[in-house]
Parts: sequence; C-alpha cells; structure tokens
Amino acid sequence: MKKDIDTLKKRSRRRRDVVEQAGSASLALSGLVGMFFLVVLVWQIAIPTFIDGENGEISAASEFIPISDYVLEWDHPNVNEQGDLNTEPIVLTITWEGRTGAQKHDLEIVVTANRGEKEDVQISEEGLSTTSIEVGKKTKFYLKSVLDVPVSVEQRSGPVPAADASGNPHVSSFVVSGDVAVLISNGSAVFEPLEMAGWTSLLVLTFIVSRPTERRLAPLVRCYGRERQIRGIILLLAIFTIVIGQTTLSAFLGGLCWLLFGVALLRTIEGMERLQNQGRSLTEVKRLKHSISDREGLLLWSRMLLVSACFFIPLDIDIPFLTERYQDIFQPYASGIRSAFFGTVWVMSIAMLVSMPISIGAAIYLEEYAAPTRTTKLIQALVTNLAGVPSIVFGMFGLAIFVKQGGIGLGLGPSILAAGLTMGVMAMPIIVLASQEALRSVPRSLRESAYGVGCTQWQVVKDHVLPSAMPGIMTGSILAMSRIMGEAAPLVVVGAAALVLFDPEPLAALTGGNLNFTVIPIQIYFWTSEPEHAWHSMAAAASIALILLLIAMNSIAIVLRQHFRKRLNS
Amino acid sequence: MKKSLKPVAQKRAPADRVRLLLFITSLSVIFITLGIIQTLLFEAITFFREIAGVRGWFSFEFDPKGVMSQTGLGAFLFMLALMMEWISEHRRHYLAIIPEQILFPPSWALRSIYALLIIAVVVVNSMLLWASTVALVAVWRRVAKKHMLRGTGNIDQTDRSVTIALGCCLFFSLFIATTEHYGGAFGEFFFQNQWTPTGACADRRSLCENMNFGVNSLLLTTLQVAFGALFIAVPLGVGCAIYLSEYASPRLVSVVKPTLELLAGIPSVVYGFFAFIYIGPLVVELGEVAYTNGWIDQPPNILNPINGAIVVGVMILPLVASMSEDALRAVPNELREGSLALGATRIETTLRVMLQAALSGILASIILALSRAVGETMAVTLAVGTVAVYTSNMFLPAQTMTAYIAQRVGGDLPFGEIGYLTIFAVGLYLFIITLSLNLLGNKVLSAYREAY
Repeated sequence: MKKDIDTLKKRSRRRRDVVEQAGSASLALSGLVGMFFLVVLVWQIAIPTFIDGENGEISAASEFIPISDYVLEWDHPNVNEQGDLNTEPIVLTITWEGRTGAQKHDLEIVVTANRGEKEDVQISEEGLSTTSIEVGKKTKFYLKSVLDVPVSVEQRSGPVPAADASGNPHVSSFVVSGDVAVLISNGSAVFEPLEMAGWTSLLVLTFIVSRPTERRLAPLVRCYGRERQIRGIILLLAIFTIVIGQTTLSAFLGGLCWLLFGVALLRTIEGMERLQNQGRSLTEVKRLKHSISDREGLLLWSRMLLVSACFFIPLDIDIPFLTERYQDIFQPYASGIRSAFFGTVWVMSIAMLVSMPISIGAAIYLEEYAAPTRTTKLIQALVTNLAGVPSIVFGMFGLAIFVKQGGIGLGLGPSILAAGLTMGVMAMPIIVLASQEALRSVPRSLRESAYGVGCTQWQVVKDHVLPSAMPGIMTGSILAMSRIMGEAAPLVVVGAAALVLFDPEPLAALTGGNLNFTVIPIQIYFWTSEPEHAWHSMAAAASIALILLLIAMNSIAIVLRQHFRKRLNS
Repeated sequence: MKKSLKPVAQKRAPADRVRLLLFITSLSVIFITLGIIQTLLFEAITFFREIAGVRGWFSFEFDPKGVMSQTGLGAFLFMLALMMEWISEHRRHYLAIIPEQILFPPSWALRSIYALLIIAVVVVNSMLLWASTVALVAVWRRVAKKHMLRGTGNIDQTDRSVTIALGCCLFFSLFIATTEHYGGAFGEFFFQNQWTPTGACADRRSLCENMNFGVNSLLLTTLQVAFGALFIAVPLGVGCAIYLSEYASPRLVSVVKPTLELLAGIPSVVYGFFAFIYIGPLVVELGEVAYTNGWIDQPPNILNPINGAIVVGVMILPLVASMSEDALRAVPNELREGSLALGATRIETTLRVMLQAALSGILASIILALSRAVGETMAVTLAVGTVAVYTSNMFLPAQTMTAYIAQRVGGDLPFGEIGYLTIFAVGLYLFIITLSLNLLGNKVLSAYREAY
C-alpha cells in the first residue's frame, strides 16, 4: 500500500516537473528569442560604429585611424539648409625648398556627393602629382612627401578645418616633414564634459534624496550657510555649459540640467536645515522629500530629465546619425536619419494634437454622460473593433480621405499633415479604450461626494474625476503614441518618400512647399529592401535608434504613472 | 408655468453644451468607421463594376461529377454534421438509439482523433475537407454533451446558430463541388487562383485581357502565414501564461511582464528586418534539405511564407501570453483550492481545472492574435516576398493581401487606375476578415468576463 502511494507520488511529481519545465522552457524560449533579436541588432550596429567601411567592403576600424605625422580634418557638412551640397572647394597652398629653388603649388580639394577618387597626392621633386582632387565626404587621403625637407601647408580658401593634430581648431597653416593625412568627415563624436558632469550630479543628488543615510548626507550638511556661493557656482557652471556647448541640444539640456540641480540642491539643504531645527531625523525618506517639494514636482521633473538623459547620453556619442546626417545614396555608412527623425517628430506631434482631445472627450462622454442606449452600445462596439482593424486599412482610409483630391478627399497630398491625421485616426480607438479604463477606475465615492456638495456634472468631471484619472489617461496616450510611432504600413500607403534630403515642412500641404517626408520606420523598410549589405547595417542602426526612442517614451509613461499614483495615495 | 421654467433652462445650458460637445467627439468614432467602410466599399464597387463591364458579374458551369471530389466529400461530411445537429435538436429521442460507446469513446481514442486532426492540417490538400471533418467531430462531441446532460434540465434552449452556420458551410461546399469555370467580376475575384493585376496593355487605365484577379492566391499565403504563426505562438504563449500564473514567483512575474511588453513594443518593420536578414537564410537551409530529399519540387527561396510565419509568430506571442495569463488569473481561486482540497495534484489542477475554466479566454486571445497576424503588414512584406503565386509549397516566395497593398501603393499609383482600385477590393476583403475575427474574439472575451 505504502509502496503504491510512493510510486503515485513519484509519478505525480515527475509529471508536475514536466509541466513546470515545459512552462519555464517556453518562457525561457520566448525570452531567448527576444534576447536573440536584441543581440543581433547590437551586433549589426557594431558594424557601422566600430568597423568602418568604404566601397561596400568592411574592414577593421583601426585601418582608418590615420597613422601619420599630421592630421588635417574638415568637418564638412553634407548639405546646407536648402538641401544643396556644399561644394566650396578647399584650396591648400603647399610650399617647400626644392633643389631647384622654392616650389609653390596649389592643391584644390573638391568635396562632392559622389564617392570620388581617393588616391593619395604625391609631393615630389617634380611638384604635386595632381593639382585638383575630387573626394567624397567622409574620405581620407594622404599628402605623401618623398622629399626629406619640411613642407609647409597653408589653407587659402574653403571651410575652416575642424581640428589639427594637437586638437587646436582653426590652424590653417603649418610646417611638417612627414605625411599629412587629410580627413574629410561630416560629424564626429560629441563629448560634453560639463553636460555629463551636470547629469552625474543630478543623478547623485536624486540617489541621495531617495535613499538618505547619515554618511551620504554629510557633504550636504557641510553646505549649511553657503547657499549664496553654491548658487553662484552653479549659475556660472550653467552659463559655461551653454556657452561652450557644441550643439544646441546639448547646450540647452546641459544648462537646464545644471539649473535644475542647483534648485534641487538648494531646496534640499533648506529642507534639511528646517528638519534639523525641528529636531527630526534626516534619514526618513518621506520627510526629506516632502521638505524639498510639497508635491514632488521638482523631483518628478529631475527624474524625467534623468530618464531622457539615459537615452541622450549614448545618443550624444553618435548623434550625427540621428540629427545631423541626411541619407547619402552613394555612401551608406555616411548616411543618417535626420529627415526621418524630424518627420517622425512632426507626424507624432500632429497625430497627438488631433487625436488626444477628441479621444479623451469621447471617453468622458462614454463613461460619464452616456446612458446605455443603442447608440452608446454601437459606439462602444465600434471603438473596441476599430482598435483591431489592421493598420494598413487605416492607411487606405487616409489615402482616400486625406491624400486624394476630389470626391470626399481633402487633397492634402502625400504630406506630413495627411500622415499625421491618418496616424491620429489610428491612435484614437487605443486612446479611447485606455482613457475609459482610467475613468472607470476612479472610485464611485469620489463622484458621489462631489455631487453631495452640490457640484454639477461637468464640475464633477472637470475638478474631481479627470484629475484622478489623468495618470491613466496620460500613460495610455503615451503608450498609444509609442505604438503608432513604429507603424510603417499606413505611411507607406499615404505615400512617404524613400529619399528625403531636407528637413520636412509640417504644413507644406497648406503653404505649398515641398510635400516629401519620411519617418524612421519607413527609412528602415526602404533600407532593408536595398540589395547592398551596407544598407542593412544602416537599417539596424535606425532600428536601434527607433527602439531607444520607444523605450524612452515608455519610460516617461512609467515615471508619470508612478508619480501620479504616489500623489493619489498620499 | 412656462415663465418659471425658463430661467432653469437657461442655467442648465452650459452643462448641456459640454454634453453636446462631448457627444460630438464620440460621434467621430462612428464617422471614422463609416469613412473606412465608405472608402473601401466605394472603390471596391468601382473595381467590380469596371471588371463587370468587360466580363459580366458572375458566371459558372455546372459539373455534377465534382461531387466525387474531395470537396464533394467535404460537403457530404458537412451534411452528416448538419443532420446530427438537427436530430439532436429536434428529435432528441433518437439519440437513445446510438450506442454509448460511440458517443463516449475511451479517452485515448478521443485524444488520438484530436491529434490526427491537428496533423491533418499539414497533410490534407483540401482545406474544405479538413474543415468539414473538424465540424463533424465538433458536432459529435456536442451531441455527446447534450446526451450526457439530458434529463438534468441543463440543456440550453434550441441554439439555431450552429445549424445556420453548418447550413451555410454545406451550401458553400456543395456549390464549390458542383461548379467550375468561374467568370465575371465576383467569380473571378473570389474563386480563381491567379492574381496578375498588372499586364502589358496599350492603355494603362484600361482593363486588359491578360489581367487576372483571383484573390485566392493572396488569401492562401495570408492564411499560411497566419496559421503558421499560431503554430509557434500558441504553444509558447499558453505555456508562458500557465507558468506565469501558476508557478512563477511574483518577483519573476514583475520582471517577465515588462519584458513581454517590450517584445510587443518592437515595431513590426524591425521584425521584418530580422526575418529578411536572419530567419530567411535559416529557412533556406531547411528547404535545401527538403529539396535534396525530393520533398519539394523547386529550390527554396530566401523569401517565403515560413519565414513570415516564424516572425509573425514571435510578434503575436506576447499578445497570446498576456491575454491568456489574464484569463487564467481571472479564474476564481475557489476553483483551484477546491480542486487541491479534493486531492488533485497541482498538475491535475492546472490542466484539468484551470485550463478548462480559462479556455474561452485563451480561445479569445488566439482569435484576436489570428486577426492581428492576418492584418500584419510590414514584417510580412519584407519576409514573404512580392510574387503572387498560388502554391502550397511554403518555401517559395509568395505575397499576402497586406503585402500586395503595401507593394502596390509603394510605386507611383494614379488615382482611378485599375491597380489603384484593386488595393481597395483586397483591403475590403481583409477588413471583412479581420472585423469578423475581432467581433468573434470580443464576443468570446465578453462571454468569459461575464462568467467570472
């Protein structure tokens, strides 16, 4: 008998293990699939970032680090504001003491959109091997001297070089006795020490305030009574960051970061003093936070900035890809997604402006006002089912209603406005559903007590229901936006272009400008369709950028949700 | 009386204005739906009218010999199912004649029949025959359940929907079996298998003779991709859901759930990129093995429906997992505790109680995932290819309905041309399929929400 029970137990244990193992295995498998995708993406981006390539072949990046006595580098912009190539030639005057007297030659460097020739220029007894050289952007060639006399190089015209070997900018004349590497690049890594320092300080302060101990607070205690000096120093740092910032974005963000840090630091010190005067412990998280800001608004902003910083700091390193370079049809690795990035920003802004008021209004009506009539039920059913309609059908709707001229078409053409409206229509059912969920979760007692003190229905909604449902609504809207941000199908139908070499104009459809636009998913789609492998690398890079943007949006949604939830609880 | 009412009405006015404004915003949902349906219908009707102007609306020839084909067998099975259903509804006393062994076979026999049905999806050439077999088995189990419940008073009132659905299936399959050579606008679009909407014509706007509009070619690939995706997503997703809701610690759940959401948040075009770059070559290697062994008659291509099915399967996996987990969590704890208290082991509780109780929720998640898979565009466009061929060989490039739309509008497309009209006809078909799947899924979903 006992034996039977034992075998039964063993068998059941074995079977349980099988299910548990199968479940965990499927879980692990799905996780692995996701991980595999991410690893592959990172590996793909490694090719354009760490390994550079030209003419389609891929070679180690170290080959492209110039090994020479002198480096002359021009940060040559791809295109100017109008979309034309900036082809002002760089003219170098090269002089040396030859056997037959002083030699003086001009070398003209023309930067073109084509790949151009890349052969080195020989400096010999007969003079220069060529007087004019045509190069593509992001190329490198050498001025090779076979003489053993010093050669002096002077720039006569063209854009100023970005840097010389010692890192001093704007030196256009020098004497050298070896090879000179000439680098024509467009954009390089931007490193902003002051901005980074600002972010780090803010991070450290947030960490201290959220997990205070005596030891961590000690440096802050020492600051008592020195508020004026601190204020001065931080103001100076902020101004300094703004002045020496290499790009507008980093200057702005860095300055903002320092200002925020200053305000937060001063408030923390003030609050700590107040707490100590009251004879209370500083290490209680809640009290300290409360003393800094009554509604935690400041902490929220710093936290949101920190979250975005997490994504901006790595982007800073290769930010030319995102915000500076346009697509370069001849050189995949020198391409960027500037036009696609701004296209995405504009399309998302228009979609949000159009869809949010309407969908939140609809949600309020359906939840707060509507009686359960047949119309209401119909609208509810339509919302639920519209959320499941394939995105490409929305694209066709946009094509017929917004793009097409004549009939019921508005005739906006394949423009950003039409794309934004289409995306807004697509986001609507998702936002309505999320907002309804949020409104439904507001407790009934809140409404009833508001009615009890004599509020009208609109007052109840405006002053009591909406504020407490706001976190859910905001989170839902941001998540809906991040979902439609990755959608390419409707925009393919609306008519996004494959190649856009200028910043898109959001209202071109009304003002009569150039309609063409593109967004990041569309760019990925077209780059993936290209036969060359180099474009696939760029598609991977664009995917990484897109996913990072999506994660940033989702993190902001999560931070918002947590913040509002805490406020509601307190 | 009137005088006294007036000021009150004036006071109420602002509130009413707000109400009206909000009502108008909610009406926009109706406008959008009507707009979608109107656009699709308008252009699709123009499309059908243009073809009908040349080839007529609908034509076919009778061919009674087709009853002996696979489709005819399917129609016969449908008829059998319909008869069983009708008898069980209206002549219940006849059920007593059927021996118990037929209605309640041993569980191993039942399971092997289910397994055979699943395997048959791959083997059977005619989907109609497979569907009719499934219908027959389903009706058989339904009758058995009714027989078991007789006398307990728990039998539902006569449910006509099953009879009507079976009748429609019977009519449809009988029609398919006994007719051939479909022509005309509708006959060509819904029954023919060749999809060549571009032809070398003198006049681009005109309808050439060598154009063919048999949408089945696109539909077959769409279904191959969607069901292939379910093949991957359902076992993995339901497995995940069971593990997360029954076994995993809350800490693990709090880590895994956001990861699944992240997986769901990756844009479809990025998945398409993966399929194009990585999964395609892997599938080709598999196809090479099949080709050298002679299982398929043409060498595999890097773009194929299997590739698309894998990537779409991974895409819909988070949807299946999270919705199934919600369904499992919605099952009241009393059921679980009751089962454990009766001495069932954890595995028995999971498989026999929890899974059964949450079955409709899981089913709803599968239906909604199927709808998502059918409507998926960018990943499929990049993974499956752009050649519309009607073939059951899943290693060859093909084209889904969504991919056709995306590929066709990608070029310069003049409004009003026949190519422009085809995308709306295909879009309408797609819209109807996904809408009916969504309606079905949401109905099942609300049914299980009401149950608990």
